[in-house]
Amino acid sequence: MKDKKMNKQLSEQELLNKTAKLPLEMAPERDLWTGIEKAIHGQTRKSANLSQGNKVIPMAWAASVVAAVLVTWLSFSPQQATTPKLNLLTVMQQDFTEQKQAMLVSYGQPKISQLPQEMQDQLSELASARQAIEKALLDDGNNSDLLNLLRWTQKQELDLIKQLYSPKWQSI
Amino acid sequence: MDKQKVINAQELFSSDPELERINRAKQGDQQAFHQLYIDHHRRVYALCWRMLSDKDSAEDVCQEVFVQLWQKIENFRGESKFSTWLHSVATNIVLGHLRKQKNWLQRVFSIEEQPVADVPVEMPMQVNEVSELDKHIQRLPERARLVFVLFAVEGYRHEEISNMLNMAVGSSKSQYHRAKSLLREWVSESDYER
Repeated sequence: MKDKKMNKQLSEQELLNKTAKLPLEMAPERDLWTGIEKAIHGQTRKSANLSQGNKVIPMAWAASVVAAVLVTWLSFSPQQATTPKLNLLTVMQQDFTEQKQAMLVSYGQPKISQLPQEMQDQLSELASARQAIEKALLDDGNNSDLLNLLRWTQKQELDLIKQLYSPKWQSI
Repeated sequence: MDKQKVINAQELFSSDPELERINRAKQGDQQAFHQLYIDHHRRVYALCWRMLSDKDSAEDVCQEVFVQLWQKIENFRGESKFSTWLHSVATNIVLGHLRKQKNWLQRVFSIEEQPVADVPVEMPMQVNEVSELDKHIQRLPERARLVFVLFAVEGYRHEEISNMLNMAVGSSKSQYHRAKSLLREWVSESDYER
């Protein structure tokens, strides 16, 4: 009996042939994706944080440029009389406040204080720059350059909030 | 000439739908990541199941592989095929899982005392239908099974396997030889009984 078995023993090449024919794919019996999706759904990917951090760097530059331009402007520009353009400043402030509020509401009223410190700093710098421009406009309401600078700064602030809170990880 | 080659390569690269999915997944696109899962999970699951020899553990670890992939996909720089890179990630996670198991050290260092499995291993349905050889692979002692799967099925070299399993290259070859001997014997017996 044993001899018969020995005679029939698989050769190494036959084993390798059988091995080469093994299925490389198998389907799990249960659905695995649901668990994976749950696990990654609420995750803030470390690299995503880094990626967001990278996007914030231009904002830091923007805030710095705004601050530098503003300081230069306030130092060297002649004082001008206040004009009805103050109304435009008021409209721009109201419009900005409404947009910002609507945006924050749409993101579930997130707390700025829960953001990483670096991002809080960027938001704070932009807000400071915006407030400084608004203050300058109170004394020089006719100045279209300052108005443009204010508009641009407001946009940077809104863009940053959008980047920080946009729910792009939940696209499914 | 070289410039022409570069341009063609770039065109080829940008039209690769998998690369596009990878790039989108890197940006946090879960739909693209889901498609990568659909494309690759069966292959990863097969690797997990063959190495772990247990259906439930294989499913759990396969999930873990894709959860970790979500975190690590930015590390993929296209220096190898994505599937190759993914299988390397998966293999490391499976081995990490094995190491974490309570009796891992005991099983590794007293491997020669480990009995060959007599109890049929729980198979995924597809395996019952397809492969008798897989049933025998699951009966192999753990180190012999790991070496056989990594070398003969997954295509790793003994040098790589020795690093993965923290053993000498000679031990890897020896385990592979042992696995082949056992499998030849068992498959022959099965064929004879049929």
